[in-house]
Amino acid sequence: MELLSAFTPTSPLLANVSSKATELFHEGGVLAFLTNSVLVALVVLGVVFWFSRKATSNMTLIPHKAQNFFEFIIEFLYDRVVGIVGEKQAKLAFPLLGTLFIYILVSNWFGLIPGVGTIGFGDPVGPFMVGEVHDPLLRPPTADLNATLALSISAFLVWFYLTIKELGVWGFLVHTFGAKGGLKGIMGFVVAIVFLFVGVIEVVSMILRPMTLSVRLYGNIFAGESVLHTLGGLLDKAGYPWSFIGSVLFPFPFYFMELLVGLLQAIVFTLLCSVYIQLSTTHDEHSEEEHH
Amino acid sequence: MELFSPISGTIMPMLAAGKVDEMTRKFGLSFPKFLAQVLIFIAVYAILKKFAFGPILAMLEQRRQRIADGEAKLDKIAKNLVDAELSAKTVLDKANDDATRLIKEAGDSAKSLTEKRQQEAIHEASHILAKAREASTLEHEQLMAQLKREFGRMVTDATSRVTGKVLNTDDQSRINQETSAQVSL
Repeated sequence: MELLSAFTPTSPLLANVSSKATELFHEGGVLAFLTNSVLVALVVLGVVFWFSRKATSNMTLIPHKAQNFFEFIIEFLYDRVVGIVGEKQAKLAFPLLGTLFIYILVSNWFGLIPGVGTIGFGDPVGPFMVGEVHDPLLRPPTADLNATLALSISAFLVWFYLTIKELGVWGFLVHTFGAKGGLKGIMGFVVAIVFLFVGVIEVVSMILRPMTLSVRLYGNIFAGESVLHTLGGLLDKAGYPWSFIGSVLFPFPFYFMELLVGLLQAIVFTLLCSVYIQLSTTHDEHSEEEHH
Repeated sequence: MELFSPISGTIMPMLAAGKVDEMTRKFGLSFPKFLAQVLIFIAVYAILKKFAFGPILAMLEQRRQRIADGEAKLDKIAKNLVDAELSAKTVLDKANDDATRLIKEAGDSAKSLTEKRQQEAIHEASHILAKAREASTLEHEQLMAQLKREFGRMVTDATSRVTGKVLNTDDQSRINQETSAQVSL
């Protein structure tokens, strides 16, 4: 209850930023899924499609600007992924990890575009003006728990597929619950019991990974939205022009912080997924020796 | 974070107390919205895999291969250059040796030829001198014979005038011989 109340902007200091995405059609029906975050996700999809086509059409050995920029990003990501999961797994996992990074980064930064979260519907105070935006038209997908869950569960499924493909079901069970160290006798039995218990904890942590990944990303981006809205509205009651000056000046430094947070969250999400894949697809030393 | 900590054990009471519904409502969780986000993410994945990762990774690999080939060719060219320099040096050394030998041979040959020509010239000159000397001697003798004959004729003529006698052929011949014998030039 305490946790949930933390997300409810009841404090007069905090801006009233909704913790959930708003449906564009309040009547619901077939289009109930179409929220402001889904709309932005579709825009992000279009941006990614347009830029990837622009970057990879007429590719040459001496790259043009868009190609060069995209090559830089992809080569940087690929090298990081190879460094973590190894060459073999990188070939399989990179499309997912690269997509996660680019999609999350573009989504996070999309939320910083002026108008996202501030243009929408509310109580009208004049022509094309509302006192407070209750239902923004646009919302970054990463500030919607549905989207972050979609990302983390997709990553979880791919992780599970890669793990089973690499180790097999039995190998995965041995990898998770099997005793390490090669001890025998009574000590071996005790160690096996301990590792069985550790395996149970490991399974719980695996199941919770999608939740932790999604809530971490959602929390950071939603918090950033709240901070920017709160700072932008600090002088709303002071009247024009102070409200305008305050809405520009106060959030301005925090935009740079949010740029950094957006990048960091994209990196954290991608690197954690890479580490999860690396941890579960690495063969144990003694099983490697037995295999050889 | 306590909510999601399996160690603290707070998640189970929350789930048991039916807080899931409240949480779902609070964060707007719903399956259609979740599915829409999954489908959009899959679409982004498909687009990036088809239009970005595939072509760009292939291009990076192609460029890497090209650089590797270039490096290999560079090494080969450098090796060929060393070989070529070595070969050129060998050829130059050989040519130098040949040239030195040829110059020496040409010098020797020229010297020999000069000596030969010199000998021939000396021989020719000696020959010419001998012939000239012989011709001169012959001419001298002819002149002397002619002079003696002229002198004998003059003596004969003078004798004939002094004596008033017509000398016959024998007399003339005898006077000529005596005169020639007495005139020694």
